[in-house]
Amino acid sequence: MAILEAKGVHKRFGGVVALDGASLSCERGEVHALLGSNGSGKSTLAKVITGVVAPDAGEIKIRGKVEAPRSPADMRRLRVAAVYQDLSLIPQLTVAENILLHEEPRGRWGFIDSKALRRKAATAAEQFAEALGRSIPMDELVGNLSPSEQQTVEIIKALARNPEILILDEATASLHKGEVDALFETITKLKAKGCAILFISHRMEEIFRFCDRATVLRNGQTVGTVKLSEASEGDLVDMMVGQRMDEVRAGRGQATRGKESQEGPEKFQREGSQPVVLRIHNLRAGDGAVRDVSLELREGEVVGLGGLQGQGQSELLKAIFGALPLESGRIEINNNPVSISKPMDAIRNGIALIPGDRAREGLFPVRPVLENLNIASMHRRSAAGFLRARREEAAAGSIVSDLQIKVEDLSHPVHTLSGGNQQKVVVGRWLLNGPRILLLDDATKGVDVHAKSEIYAIIERLREQGAAVLLYSSDDLELVTLCDRVLVLYEGKIVETLSGADLTENRLVSAALRLAPSGNGSEISPGRAYDTGRDNMGRGGLHGVS
Amino acid sequence: MESAESVGTRTRTNLWQRLLRRHLITVATASLLVLAIAMNAILQSDFFTPSVIRSNLTSFVPLVVAAVAQTIVILAGGIDLSLGVIITLVDVVVVRLIGTSSSPTVLALCLGAGLAVGALAGLVNGIAVAVIRLQPIVATFATSFIWSGLSLLVMPRPGGQVPTFFYRGYRQVFLGIPVAAWIIAGVLVLWLIIKRLPLGRYIYAVGGNQQAAYATGINESGVKIASYVLCGVFAAIAGLCIVADTATGDPFVGAPFTLTSITAVVIGGTRLTGGVGDAGNSVIGAIILGLVTNIIFFANVPSFYQEFIFGVIVVAALAGAGMLTTRRRSS
Ligand SMILES: Nc1ncnc2c1ncn2[C@@H]1O[C@H](COP(=O)(O)OP(=O)(O)OP(=O)(O)O)[C@@H](O)[C@H]1O
Ligand SMILES: [Mg+2]
Repeated sequence: MAILEAKGVHKRFGGVVALDGASLSCERGEVHALLGSNGSGKSTLAKVITGVVAPDAGEIKIRGKVEAPRSPADMRRLRVAAVYQDLSLIPQLTVAENILLHEEPRGRWGFIDSKALRRKAATAAEQFAEALGRSIPMDELVGNLSPSEQQTVEIIKALARNPEILILDEATASLHKGEVDALFETITKLKAKGCAILFISHRMEEIFRFCDRATVLRNGQTVGTVKLSEASEGDLVDMMVGQRMDEVRAGRGQATRGKESQEGPEKFQREGSQPVVLRIHNLRAGDGAVRDVSLELREGEVVGLGGLQGQGQSELLKAIFGALPLESGRIEINNNPVSISKPMDAIRNGIALIPGDRAREGLFPVRPVLENLNIASMHRRSAAGFLRARREEAAAGSIVSDLQIKVEDLSHPVHTLSGGNQQKVVVGRWLLNGPRILLLDDATKGVDVHAKSEIYAIIERLREQGAAVLLYSSDDLELVTLCDRVLVLYEGKIVETLSGADLTENRLVSAALRLAPSGNGSEISPGRAYDTGRDNMGRGGLHGVS
Repeated sequence: MESAESVGTRTRTNLWQRLLRRHLITVATASLLVLAIAMNAILQSDFFTPSVIRSNLTSFVPLVVAAVAQTIVILAGGIDLSLGVIITLVDVVVVRLIGTSSSPTVLALCLGAGLAVGALAGLVNGIAVAVIRLQPIVATFATSFIWSGLSLLVMPRPGGQVPTFFYRGYRQVFLGIPVAAWIIAGVLVLWLIIKRLPLGRYIYAVGGNQQAAYATGINESGVKIASYVLCGVFAAIAGLCIVADTATGDPFVGAPFTLTSITAVVIGGTRLTGGVGDAGNSVIGAIILGLVTNIIFFANVPSFYQEFIFGVIVVAALAGAGMLTTRRRSS
């Protein structure tokens, strides 16, 4: 008997249809993938199951019994827990307080027993932190954590609720391979205990590695459920995008072409001959989060920043963009020293930074999509200081169709878009500014396969036009796919540069952990979670179809 | 693997720095308090004599309690623009009920009725915000007219009296400490109790991120209503203190407390957007405001400059608090 069943779920938000007859069924001990492109209704369905969103029609059965939950608290009692895509943490509370929010152990007089709370939270964190090989600071305010640390806390929070049905809505979007491995271990344990896990992710390799079956949504409707042992990535993408498959193939072809050309010797010639656009000398920033970094970025070059999460990659990008004050060091653009003390200076110098942390650094949630897209490049389209609505609409319209942003109307507030579509708005805003130097800070987080390849194609186009790109990604595959070379950071310093044949996912992982290079990667981490089993499907991943 | 383990601690500051940063606001507010006390003491030679301390505390109490009331709703992400008139309503209802009676039992019942009036007014505000889902500013601005209308119905013009032992008692010293100080201490203890109950945690959570609180299973409407009811009860306590202080009723007495309580909250470093702050700091903020009024009085400033200077000092204090909170943004 299915432990979780959803049947014919409908949900509208104003004029927008989010769910239009979505169904799924999930067994005990099963990891069930929920797939679909951005805006197809995955998060909405997840929220209907946890009671956050009330459906217009349809039914939810838990353990065979129809439930009509009226609030998340009701579903909590049925042992349903979730990691939400738009995080459900309170930034002003500490990690421990967040993990046990609404589960506080009570002492005498009904007071919160703070000691017991810390202890319980630490225990909950342990089972996951152990696999992670890293401690989690219990007394830090959640708002001071990096996106991937917050993500980890959110996962621990869900696990601490001891769920029988666990929903992971893009819980891995800002996680690195090591952390994903840790999550995988935890999921395997839960599975053995008979839990059901609903897993939402845009990273195909994770789907094949974690999940038993997959249900695909398109435009709010369930297209079908397949056994993953019997399906290929191509089948799934077909189901996800329907008739758009040909376009997807074309887009992906473009994206992978860049990669293939890197493998030839031609790439090294290009590196030597093109003028240097951005040069950084001994840069230090963010209280030593970035230390002594020097690098050169040439015209038409895509350079990656690798390493474990939180090794100063984001801080480096922010410092170049003027969002973080330089403590020492120099920045030269086109061989001229520049002083960048605030983002406006950077923008004037043709720099754009696309952040992955859209909630904190990217969007104006209640403002229309149109404004959000135009805000960085308004001056390009204004006349005598006045805004030109027609030109703004044209510019926004073109980027919306390029990136396939799913939005009913440009006047809708951006917070009503699905997570991935919000991220595309952030990307689109900076692409509209025609940057000469493009900095990406995990910019494709939560973006679906199709749009990702679209973004890759745009990066490729910009590179051909002579732009230089410096990018950080928590997705190693993205670094390998896009970059000419990758600088691996450790504790704020560049410890290794990988390029050409050395630029593989295995080498990235071992360099990040500062291990000696190894041939097949099996020695990378004795007895640890960093197994490289994923290599078998690495090529079967993003560009498997070609 | 050792290398990977050290990662988590690298960017963490040491414990002392962290404590200082966490309590930066308290430290800043406390320094401001010391400064205000010093200036006041310089201008007023008998500032530290017991009788002056007592009379100062007595006059500060209503604002201190009102500031605690306002902090609670602000922490939960709301605001109460009707707080001043709730104080008025409690004031006139209590004086009207006491009438000419001088029996302690009647007095106790009347004080209880005052608290109930405050709680009820808070409940109405809470329902307007959490159930009818009006914006807190609009909702409480609207209800403020209801409370002030009711006050005028109960008592059209200042008057009435209270038993002598009541207003005398308010100025007494008990166990070597003025009653006013006991009241402040009592209010702080109440606040600490609230803060240690799950409700206190949920008030911060709802003010910090309402959707997240809801998704975590917290009854966010319930928490908001509770915050307004608590605010009403504390406002009522402030009203009772005013009755004891003035020994009479006045249908206009509370109005200024709405804005001064918000000012005290901000000087205390509580963020108006909710989720960050502490009622303890608002108590200090309220005392600072009281001292500033004293300073201006004793500095012999011509009366037409008094408001102006009061305004300048308050803006400076607010700017100081603001700078401390925004300076940390880039870190
Ligand atoms: N609160 C809301 N108000 C208006 N529209 C909404 C709201 N929430 C979701 N939608 C719309 O419902 C549709 C489905 O959104 P949903 O977040 O479920 O997509 P998703 O499959 O999770 O996408 P993604 O992969 O980008 O996270 C989208 O078109 C979105 O714009
Ligand atoms: Mg989603």
